[in-house]
Amino acid sequence: MSDFTRRDLLHKAARGTVLATLGGGAAFLVQKAHGQVVWQVDATRCLNSRLGVVGVEACKLCTTECVVALSAVRAVNEHARCGRCNICPAYFNITSAVDERGLPSEKLCPRDAITRKPIGKADPEDPANNFYEYLIDEEKCDGCGKCVMQCKEPLGLGSIVLRIRYNRCVDCNRCAISRACPKDALIQVPVEQALRSPDVGRT
Amino acid sequence: MWGGLKPGRGFSPAALLLLATVAVWELPAQTIPYQRPVDEAPQERSIGGGYKTPAVQKPLPRSSWLQILDVAVLAVAMGISSWLVLKRRSRKSLVALAIGSVAYFGFYREGCICPIGSIQNVAVALTDPHYSIPMVVTATFFLPLVMAVFFGRAFCGGACALGAIQELVLVKPLQVPRRLDRALGLLKYVYLGLALFFALKPAVARDFLICRFDPFVDFFRRTGPPHMLLLGGAFLVAGMFIGRPYCRYLCPYGGLLAWCARLAHRGVTITPDKELDCGLCTDACPYGAIEKMRAVRRNCLYCARCYAACPCDGDLARAKAQLVKLS
Repeated sequence: MSDFTRRDLLHKAARGTVLATLGGGAAFLVQKAHGQVVWQVDATRCLNSRLGVVGVEACKLCTTECVVALSAVRAVNEHARCGRCNICPAYFNITSAVDERGLPSEKLCPRDAITRKPIGKADPEDPANNFYEYLIDEEKCDGCGKCVMQCKEPLGLGSIVLRIRYNRCVDCNRCAISRACPKDALIQVPVEQALRSPDVGRT
Repeated sequence: MWGGLKPGRGFSPAALLLLATVAVWELPAQTIPYQRPVDEAPQERSIGGGYKTPAVQKPLPRSSWLQILDVAVLAVAMGISSWLVLKRRSRKSLVALAIGSVAYFGFYREGCICPIGSIQNVAVALTDPHYSIPMVVTATFFLPLVMAVFFGRAFCGGACALGAIQELVLVKPLQVPRRLDRALGLLKYVYLGLALFFALKPAVARDFLICRFDPFVDFFRRTGPPHMLLLGGAFLVAGMFIGRPYCRYLCPYGGLLAWCARLAHRGVTITPDKELDCGLCTDACPYGAIEKMRAVRRNCLYCARCYAACPCDGDLARAKAQLVKLS
C-alpha cells in the first residue's frame, strides 16, 4: 500500500509541476499579449500601386496565391482620391481602338467588376468636363491588380489600391500571398490601424 | 455646378511626362491620346449639387466577441467530450459531437484557429520579444493541455476538427502491429521539432509548417493546391482502415497532449468489477490504446469504441437492459 501512495504522490507532484509550467507560460504570454493583428497590403511597396512602375503587366500574385477561392485581396477605389475622369485608364483599356462614341472600345477589367455612372448630367459635346463615379463590385473583383497598375500617377491619381477583405481573409499564420510577394508588401498591423488608415505609408 | 472642376492645365512637366508615356502606348493610330482631365481629385464641395462621396467598402474582421465565442465553444466541446466518455460512456453521442466539431471548427471556421497550429505562435511568442499573440490564441493553446492533465485527451475525442473528420471516416479499422505503431508514433515528435525549427527562425525566414501542411484544412475551405487536396484525400482514404493516421503519427499537438495525459487525473477505464476478460475492447480499439486489458491514457483518443463493443457497459449494455425490461 505504501508503494501505491508513493506513486500517487509522485503523480500529483508531476501534475502540479506541469500545471504550474502551463500556467506560468500562459501568464507570460497574457502579460505581453496585444490585440488582434490583421494582414494588410502596403500600397507603397505593392508593385501594382507603387510609383515609378508603369507600362508593365500587373502582378497577379494576390489573385493566384491566396488560400481562399476568391482571393481575400480586392481592389478598392478610394473615392476621395478618385479623379472621376471621363476616360478612366483603369476602367477602359486605353490602348484599345476608339469606338464611334470616341471612347476606347474595350474595358480593362477582365471580370467586368468596375461600373461607372455620370455625376450630374453627362454632356456629349464636352467630354472633358464629364465626370463619373467608379464603383468596384466587391463580389466580382479577384484582386488581379490591373486597374491598380493603370490608375496610379501619372495616368491616374492612384485612387485604386489593393486591400484585404477581412470577411474573407482567414488570417493565415504566414499569409500565402506574403510568401510569394516579391516586394514583401503584405504586413501584419494592429486591426485598429488597418481599419483607420486607408493604406500604410500614404496620407 | 461644375465650377470647381478644371481640365488639366497645358504643359506642366507632369503633362509632358504623361505624353511621353502615352506616346509609347500609342501603337495603332486609332487609339485616343490619353490625357488626365484633372490633377486633383474633385471633392464633394467642388462637385456640388449635393454630391455625396460613396463610402469605401470595408468588411470588418471577425469581431472579438465571436473570437471569444470560438474559445468558449472549444471549452464546451471538450467538456461534453469528457462527460460523454467518462460518465455516459456513449459512442453514439460522441459521434454526434464529432459531426458538430467538423461543422463548426472545420467548415464554419475553416480550420482556423486551432490548437495544433498555435504551437508555433506560442513558441515564437515565448522566444521573440517583438512577437506576441492575442489572448484568444493563448487560451486556444493552453485549454486542451490543462484539460488533458485532468481528464486525458478529451480534445482529440470530439473537439478537434482534424481528429473528428478522421474519426468519422474510420469504417473498417485494422490493427497496426504494436512495434510499428510505436515507431511511427515517434514521427510526431520529429515533426514537432521541425515545426519549431522553422517557426523559431528570424522573422523574415519564419515559416509555419504545421499550418502549411495541414492535410484537412483544404477540405474545410473547399479549395486549395492540388497536391494538398491529394494529400488530404490520401489521409482520409488511409484513415478508413488505419485509425486516425494524422493524430497518431504526425500531430505535434497530439505529442504534447500525450505527455499531459500520462498524468491525467481521470481517464477512460476498463472497469475491473464488471470486466469479463473477453478482450472485445482491445480488438475494438483502433488506436492500440488498450494494453493488457487496461486503457493507456497517453494513447487513448476518447473515441468510446471500447464502450460500444463492451457487452457489460456503454450503449450496448444499456440497450440490453432496455430489452430485458421490455421482455
